[in-house]
Amino acid sequence: MGMISTFRAAILLSVAATLPAAAQTTITFASYGGAYQAAQRKALLDPIEKMLNITIKEDTLGGVADVRAQVKANAVKWDIADLGGASCARGSAEGLFEPLDYSVIKTDGIDKAMATKDWIGVIYYSTVIAWNTQKYGQNGPQTWADFWDTKKFPGTRSLSRGASETFEIALMADGVPMDKLYPLDADRALKSLARIKNNVVSWWASGAQSAQLLKDGEADIVAIWNGRAGAVIKDGAKAAITYNQGIFNIDCLVIPKGSKNAALAQKAIALMVSPDLQANIPALIDYGPINAKAFDTGKITPEAATKINSAPVNAAKQTNMNFDFWRDNLTKLTERMDAFLQQ
Amino acid sequence: MSSGALPIAVRALERRYGRVVALDGVDLDVAQGEFLTLLGASGSGKTTLLMILAGFTRPDSGSVKFGGVEMIRTPPHKRNLGVVFQSYALFPHMDVAANVAFPLVLRGVASAERERRVRSALEQVQLGELGSRRVDQLSGGQRQRVALARAIVFEPGILLMDEPLSALDKKLREQMQIELRHLHQRLGTTVIYVTHDQREALTLSDRIAVIDGGRILQIDTPQRLYEAPASHFVADFIGDSTFLPVSVRNGVARWREQVLQTARPAADGEYQLVLRPEKVSLGAAPAANLLNAVVEEVVYQGDSVRIDVRLAGGAVVTLRELARAARIAAMPAVGSPVRLALDPADTVLVPAP
Amino acid sequence: MSEVATGLNAAGIRADARRERNALAGLTSPTFLVLGLLLFLPVGWLFWLSVFDDTGLTLENYRRMVVEPAYISIFRTTFELSVLVTALSVVLGYPVAYMIAFLPPRAASICLTLVLVPFWTALLVRTYAWLVILQRRGVVNSVLMDWGVIDEPLQLVHNFTGTTIGMLHIMIPFLVLPLYANMRAIDRDYVRAAASLGASPTATFWRVYLPLSVPGLAAGTVMVFVICLGFYITPQFLGGGRVTTISMKIQQNIATYFDWGAASSLGVVLFVVTLAVFWGFSRLFPLRRLTEVGGP
Ligand SMILES: Nc1ncnc2c1ncn2[C@@H]1O[C@H](COP(=O)(O)OP(=O)(O)OP(=O)(O)O)[C@@H](O)[C@H]1O
Ligand SMILES: [Mg+2]
Repeated sequence: MGMISTFRAAILLSVAATLPAAAQTTITFASYGGAYQAAQRKALLDPIEKMLNITIKEDTLGGVADVRAQVKANAVKWDIADLGGASCARGSAEGLFEPLDYSVIKTDGIDKAMATKDWIGVIYYSTVIAWNTQKYGQNGPQTWADFWDTKKFPGTRSLSRGASETFEIALMADGVPMDKLYPLDADRALKSLARIKNNVVSWWASGAQSAQLLKDGEADIVAIWNGRAGAVIKDGAKAAITYNQGIFNIDCLVIPKGSKNAALAQKAIALMVSPDLQANIPALIDYGPINAKAFDTGKITPEAATKINSAPVNAAKQTNMNFDFWRDNLTKLTERMDAFLQQ
Repeated sequence: MSSGALPIAVRALERRYGRVVALDGVDLDVAQGEFLTLLGASGSGKTTLLMILAGFTRPDSGSVKFGGVEMIRTPPHKRNLGVVFQSYALFPHMDVAANVAFPLVLRGVASAERERRVRSALEQVQLGELGSRRVDQLSGGQRQRVALARAIVFEPGILLMDEPLSALDKKLREQMQIELRHLHQRLGTTVIYVTHDQREALTLSDRIAVIDGGRILQIDTPQRLYEAPASHFVADFIGDSTFLPVSVRNGVARWREQVLQTARPAADGEYQLVLRPEKVSLGAAPAANLLNAVVEEVVYQGDSVRIDVRLAGGAVVTLRELARAARIAAMPAVGSPVRLALDPADTVLVPAP
Repeated sequence: MSEVATGLNAAGIRADARRERNALAGLTSPTFLVLGLLLFLPVGWLFWLSVFDDTGLTLENYRRMVVEPAYISIFRTTFELSVLVTALSVVLGYPVAYMIAFLPPRAASICLTLVLVPFWTALLVRTYAWLVILQRRGVVNSVLMDWGVIDEPLQLVHNFTGTTIGMLHIMIPFLVLPLYANMRAIDRDYVRAAASLGASPTATFWRVYLPLSVPGLAAGTVMVFVICLGFYITPQFLGGGRVTTISMKIQQNIATYFDWGAASSLGVVLFVVTLAVFWGFSRLFPLRRLTEVGGP
C-alpha cells in the first residue's frame, strides 16, 4: 500500500541523511526518450532518487551502437541503459556490459529467461492479433491460424515487414506449437508467409504505421504491439485484441562496462525491477511489468490486470521471444525476408 | 520577284493598353514594292503597328489587308511575311544555314532546292562562307545579315523590319543602309521599316510615315517631308529647326514688324517660320530677307562650321557653312554683328502649334 | 615559353596582375576547401567504413550485395522508381512551367507560389495525406465506388503505384523551378520569329521552344532523378513493404547489422552509380548547355 512504501521511503531517507557523502551521488540513466522515458521517470526514477537519496540524470540513446561507442572509447557516461531485447543479447555477446549482481537484485517474480548474467528485463510488450470489430464483431481471429484463414475471416491483413516476430507468427500459423518455435525454420516460415502474402495490404515498418492501418480500417486484421492497439482502441477505433499466441518482447536494463557508479547502478536496477515500483508502470504507459509480483502489491486492481499483457492470466497465453536466436540470425533472416518482400 | 510583292491597306486600326492608346485610328496604304518607313519618337506606337501587321499583337479593332485580302484574323504563321527583329531572334540551337533554311523546311522545300536557295540568300547578304557557323560566333553585323537572309529566303511578298540596324555602330549602320536599299531594289518586296533615326529614314525610304501618339501625322516622300512639313511637330522632328513666330495679315508675312518674302502665299493667321541650318547663310549681299543678328558661337566640325547667331528678340539660329579655306578665313568673330540671309524659295511656314 | 616583357613599367604591371590573381585565389579558396571537404570527407569516410571492420580489410559488405538476391532487386526498384517518377515529372511539370512562363509576371508569381505550396508542409504530413487519399477507404476509392465506377476498392497505395504518386507530388516543383527559370529567359522573339517564318504553334514548340528549354529541362531532370535515388520516407510509408529503396535498405542495415559497414557500402555504391548517371547525362547534354540559358 502507498502508506507502507511511503513509510519505507521515510526510513531509507532518514538513514541516507546520516551519510552525507552519499547525498552528492549522481547516476545517469539513458533510455529511448518520449512518452516511454517520461513514464519511467515517474514510475521508477523519482521514487528511487528519494529512496537512495541520489540524483538520477537522464539521457537518450538510439540503440546498442551508442553503448558500444562509449565502451570502446573508454568514455562511459551512462550507468544504466535501457535497450531492446535483441540489443541486450547482442551487447552481451560482445561483452559490453557489467555483470549484474543478483545478491543485490532480487528476481522473485521475474521469468528466468528475462534475467541473465548481464541484462535484465524491465517491461514487457506483446505482439498480438488485433481486428476490426465492425467487420468481425467481438469474435475475431483468436489464433495465428485464424489470421491466415481468409475463408473464415475474409479481409485484408497487415504484418510487420521485419523478420523478427513475423517469422514466429508465420510458423505458429502453420501449426508449430508456441513452445517449439526455436530455432526458427526459416524455409517453413517463408512458405507460410507466401500463402498470406496476397491478403497483406501493407507490411508495416513502424508502430505508428500499424496503428494507422488498424484505425483507418485499411487492414482488417493486424499483427500489432499491444500498446499501439490499446492507444487506437482508447482513441475510439472499432477494434479489439486477443493475447492468445502473443509474443512477449522486452526492454531490458544494462550497466555499460566501465560505469563509474556500477555498484549504485546495481542498487537502482534492483529497485527498478522490484514489485513495488514495477506496479507503477501500467498506470502510466501501455507496457506490462516484468515482475509478476507487481500484481500482488495491491497497486493494480484485478480488473485493470485483465487488460495488462504480463498479468498472469494473459501471460499464460503468450510466448517469449528468444533474443539469443535473433542475435545470431537477425541479419541472415532479414535478408531473406527482404528478398521475399521484393518478389 | 516584284511580281510577288503585295500592297498593304490599313484602316482604322485601334489598340489600347489599359489607358495608354498605342494606336489611335491608323490608316495607311503602302503600294506594291514600296519601301515605307515608320518614323516616330520612342513610345509613339511604331512597334505596336508592326506587331499587328505581323499578327503577334491583336488590335482592338480595324482592318489589315495584304494584296486586298483581309488578314486581321489570320494567325502569324499563315501571313507569309518576312520579319526582321531588333534582337535578330536567330535560333541559337541552329547554325547559320539551318536558321536560313528553317522557313524552307517548314514549307517542305526539297533539300537540293533548299540548299541552293539558302546559299543564294546568304550570298545576297554577302555571307556566302558562313553557313556552318554557330550563331553566337557571329558579329552584330553578321547576325543582322543572317536575320535578313532568313526573312527573304522564302520570298515573302512583304518584309517588316523593326529597328533592324539600331544595335550596330554608325559606320556599319550606314553601310547596311546602302545594302538594304540595293536589296530592296533587287527583290522589289514591299517593305515596312521602323526606325527613330531620321537620317536612316530619309536615306532608305520611298515614303515616310511620321507617327506620334499612335497617329500618323504625315506620309510623304523624304524630300517633301523635309521641305514641306505639314505641321510644327513634323518640322521639329525632322532636321534641326529653329522657329520664328510669323503672322500673316492681308497676305503680308511679318516677323517682329519685319516683312518677310515667302515662297508661297499663306492665308492670314499665325505661323512659325522654319529655319534650317543649311537654308540660311551669312549676309551674301542682295537677298530678299535679311535678319540682323550677333554671332554667339563658332564651332569647327570638320566638314562644316556651325555658327550660332542670336536674333533680335533672343531666338538663336544655327547655320552651317561648308568648311572651305576661303570661308574659314572669312569667319566672323564671336560678338560681331552679322546679317542672316534667307532665300524666299527656302521659306517654310507651318501653322503655329 | 613567351618572353618576359621588359618595357616601361612591365615588372610593376606584372606584379599587379599577380596580386590580383592571388587576391582572387585567397577569396575563393575557403569555399573550395569547404566544398572539397564536404564532398570528399564523408564519401571517403563511408568508403573506409565499408572496407574495414574489426578484423581488418574486408570485402564482405560488397560481396553481400552480389550474393544476396534482395540487393539486386532493391537497386532495380530504386532505379525503376526514379526513372518513372522523373519521366512523369517531365510529362506533368513541363506544361505547368510552360504555362507559368507565358503568364504575366504577377499571375506567374502567384502560380509559382502554388507550385511551391507542397514545400510548406512537412514531408511526413504530405505523405500521410496521400495515404488518406489513396487507401482502400480513402477519398479516391470512396468517390469511385459512390459513382459506381468500381465495385471493389482499387489498390492505389501500399505498393509501387502509391509510392510513385507520393514521390511525384514532391518532385514536380524540383522540375518546374529550373525549367521555369530557363523558359522565362527564352526571348519571346524566338517564338514570334518562328511563327513569322511559317511555323505553326506545334512546329514552333517542337523545333524552337523545346530545344531552347533543354538546358532547364536537363537541370530539372538530373535534380529530380538524383533526389529520387535517395528517397526514404515516401516509399517507407506508401510502399507497403513492397517497395524497398536503397536508402531504406541503408537504414535497415544500420539497425540489423550493428555496424556501419553494411550500410556505408550501399552508400558508396549509390554514390558511384549516381556519378555514373551524371557522367552519362553530361555526355548526352554537354554541361556547358546546362549552365547556359536562352539565347546567345
Ligand atoms: N505590352 C504592352 N503593355 C502595355 N503597354 C504597352 C505594351 N506595348 C506597348 N505599350 C505602350 O504602347 C505605346 C506604344 O508602344 P510601342 O512599343 O509601339 O512604341 P515604339 O514606337 O515602338 O517605341 P520605341 O521606339 O521605344 O520602340 C507605349 O506607350 C508603350 O508603353
Ligand atoms: Mg519599338
